[in-house]
Amino acid sequence: MSSCLVDGVFNVEGLNLYYGDTHALKNVHLPIGKNQVTALIGPSGCGKSTFLRTLNRMNDLIPSCRVEGSICYRGENIYESHVDVFDLRRKVGMVFQKPNPFPMSIFDNIAYGPRCQGVKDKKVLQEIVKNALIDAALYDEVKDRLKENALSLSGGQQQRLCIARAIAMAPEVILMDEPTSALDPIATAKIEDLIIELKKEYTIVIVTHNMQQALRISDMTAFFLLGELLEFSETEQLFTHPKNPKTEAYVTGRFG
Amino acid sequence: MEELLKWKEQMRSTKKNRITDKITQHIFLGTALLSASFIFIVVGIIFVQGIRPFVTDNQGLGSVNLWSFLTGDVWLIGATFASNLYSVGFIIVSTLFIALLSLLVSFPIGVLTALFIAKVAPKPLAKILRTVIETLAAIPSIVYGLFGAGIILQVVYDVSALFGYQSKGGNSIISVVLVLALMTIPTITAISEVAIRSVDKTIEHGSLALGASNTQTNFKVVLASAKSGIFTAAILGIGRTLGEATAVSLVAGGRRAGISFDIFDTTSTLTTIMLEGLKETTGLDYDIRFSVGLVLMAVILLTNLLLNSVKKRVGSVHVR
Repeated sequence: MSSCLVDGVFNVEGLNLYYGDTHALKNVHLPIGKNQVTALIGPSGCGKSTFLRTLNRMNDLIPSCRVEGSICYRGENIYESHVDVFDLRRKVGMVFQKPNPFPMSIFDNIAYGPRCQGVKDKKVLQEIVKNALIDAALYDEVKDRLKENALSLSGGQQQRLCIARAIAMAPEVILMDEPTSALDPIATAKIEDLIIELKKEYTIVIVTHNMQQALRISDMTAFFLLGELLEFSETEQLFTHPKNPKTEAYVTGRFG
Repeated sequence: MEELLKWKEQMRSTKKNRITDKITQHIFLGTALLSASFIFIVVGIIFVQGIRPFVTDNQGLGSVNLWSFLTGDVWLIGATFASNLYSVGFIIVSTLFIALLSLLVSFPIGVLTALFIAKVAPKPLAKILRTVIETLAAIPSIVYGLFGAGIILQVVYDVSALFGYQSKGGNSIISVVLVLALMTIPTITAISEVAIRSVDKTIEHGSLALGASNTQTNFKVVLASAKSGIFTAAILGIGRTLGEATAVSLVAGGRRAGISFDIFDTTSTLTTIMLEGLKETTGLDYDIRFSVGLVLMAVILLTNLLLNSVKKRVGSVHVR
């Protein structure tokens, strides 16, 4: 589409999303900057996870879901019919709320994505797995037990494994849907450090319920309420000088 | 107000519940003991009857040698021959051979059908197929046997004729295998389908989010996650295969000596040898069938133990 701006990795223009008759996202405009951490905050059911899932078209899996408007990625609207959604998901990785390792070995978990793309060379796979684990700050903990089942790892380790799994595909963007909500504070701190480290190489969009987390790790923050994007600005700005009184009420904890 | 207080008092008291718990626990224990004791009674009676051929002289025929019974390859149909030459070694082998072959046919078909119903088919079609499979699983085995006798025998006869082979009216290993496969496909499908459907959606989404195709996701992640349940389906399938008598005896043809792996050749299984002529015979020829029953139970038990140990090694997921 010619109307695609190129100032962000993603440019969301007039996005509307419906689940059947429910209008879940209302006319959202949002640019997502390269090598930045963009946090999506808002109360439950405000549409922030739904929005995140439009970016790699995981919402396609919900039969009643309908999308209007455009999301430009690399100068192309990803909702145009000729776009290969599997190709898109390789470039836009995702980490889920609950760690979801596959029931196979640690090595196979990370090698899964590359293998699906036809990488068979053992040396290459070993290299990919090692680098992904190092990048996900998990290598030292698991280097001696790569053959063990991934489900034998702790919750925090499993989540970093899932991040490593996403990194192994060499994506440009990593989407994270409340990646620490199922973890204890120590594991959460590790993931947060990791996210700050990862943003040097990747663009990160993260949904979080934890406002302190948004404040700690994000560059930009978007506040959603009832399917609308109420405010989007630099994180510091949004938390200290919110323009919208509703944003202020939420970030100061008066509702939510 | 008074009334309300009384109710509150009653809700707080757990005395009544404790008595109910005690009573139900005793009822459960009673039913458990009852069903468990049936197993002992049945096995016990078959055991007592089944060892008789080996420990008595069988009204002058002489006792049956246990070793040659288990390993030999001749089964003399007794009443007419009046001999004590009964052995099931070759029948054990053909029983296991047939079970394996029929599983080779039914397992892939069953699992792929289950995958189709659970993951690929549109919802209305899946619903219809699920009903069809459940109905097929409930059809009595004798009906499958009749289908085998009426249709499969003819087809096998014609096909073997194409190869220049005169099969005995189609009665053959392959006919048995096909009948058993037809019978076990619904079982394997139904159980695998439940296992596949209960795979956590988030695991599936994890694969799709990595850009894996639906086919890759289904085969590499969904089936891998459901493997324990699918293995259970295979175990139950094999159980049904080993235990089926009536349908098999309609298409097996019967074999009295020598192992044959020729799929167009007639065969006997542990179940058919027990069933054939059971109502018209007495003495050793009658008693020996109980011995075969013991062997069959042992074979099924060993097979299940073996498969379960394999299942533990293959399907178990060590969760912290």
